[in-house]
Amino acid sequence: MKIGNNLRQYRFKHHQISQQELANKVGVTRLTIHSIETGKFVPSTLLALKLARFFKVKVEDIFRLPATKGGQK
Amino acid sequence: MKKIEKILKSLVPVLGISSALAFMMSYFIFETLRPKMINFKPITRAEEGLMNYFGIGLLIFLSFCLLSLFQLTRYLKKAKKISLFYLLLLVMNILSLVFIFGDVALLSDIGKQYKYGLSQPEWSILYPVTAFQLVSSLILTYSHVFKLKKDGQTKFVAKDSNIFMVAQYVGFICGSMGLSSTSLGFIFPRSSLWMLKIHTLMGTFILLIPYALILGYWFMIKAQEKTKEWYDEKQIQDLGKSSFLTLISSLAIMTSIFFFNFNSLEGVISVLWFPFYAFLVLLLFSLANLYYSEKN
Repeated sequence: MKIGNNLRQYRFKHHQISQQELANKVGVTRLTIHSIETGKFVPSTLLALKLARFFKVKVEDIFRLPATKGGQK
Repeated sequence: MKKIEKILKSLVPVLGISSALAFMMSYFIFETLRPKMINFKPITRAEEGLMNYFGIGLLIFLSFCLLSLFQLTRYLKKAKKISLFYLLLLVMNILSLVFIFGDVALLSDIGKQYKYGLSQPEWSILYPVTAFQLVSSLILTYSHVFKLKKDGQTKFVAKDSNIFMVAQYVGFICGSMGLSSTSLGFIFPRSSLWMLKIHTLMGTFILLIPYALILGYWFMIKAQEKTKEWYDEKQIQDLGKSSFLTLISSLAIMTSIFFFNFNSLEGVISVLWFPFYAFLVLLLFSLANLYYSEKN
């Protein structure tokens, strides 16, 4: 299952930090950040929490479940 | 540390240009020896001694290939992007390295055939192989001096993904070459099983050298890292998928090979099954890893 995210937006809001710099801060590879941004990879809870802590926001601010057909979340 | 880096950086072009000159000189050596050898005319001691110069040239080229591969991998570790150009350099470097052993084998065969009064078709392979090595020594030298610049790199990488990818590319190249050479063993069987064993053993060993080198370098990097986690979570997921795919595919392929050769299990298959399996696994695993990593 894919999840939506605002990681790219937060990266740009946060002094336009690069994927590599963000990857270094949370201890993953640049490819992992890229895959999360494109929605191809669902991060673990630990990584999602690390990302939220880095941007000083809640996990739900960065990640969201996609809307279902019936409009439910 | 910076001093060693400077020495290595200046050593690459010196070795590269020396290799290119050695290959140019080798054409004069070959052109002196070949007409005499194919017509089975006697060779003087001095002419025979010319081959020693070619041997020294090959040793210089071997040092150049190893150093170039090391420097290229080090550069790619922090490269912003592993472009097609760098991949071609990597392929060229690996092929040149493997072909050095081919040069030695070809010359040894030519020497033996001349001794026993047999024709030497190996000359027609030796020329293009050394021409390729000459061209690759020039291209690699040029690239090391003018193309591998600092601005194409990031300053710091906490968790490496590039060397991991480079290892997969090298695995793909070695796996393809190994699988091709093993398949040729099935198609054109050697005169005796003993000869097949020797050639298979040597071929497998030589073709695994580049992969062993890159793995060794990767292990070295990981040993220096403070963290105990060798992969990040996406790499673990990709490795898991690739391992599963490799297991299923290799089982299916090896089972069909077993049944196709069921009536001749003591023949060629008794020697070739292992290198075939090893290179197949290497190829499938590297290819699957590249697919899952690049797909995202």
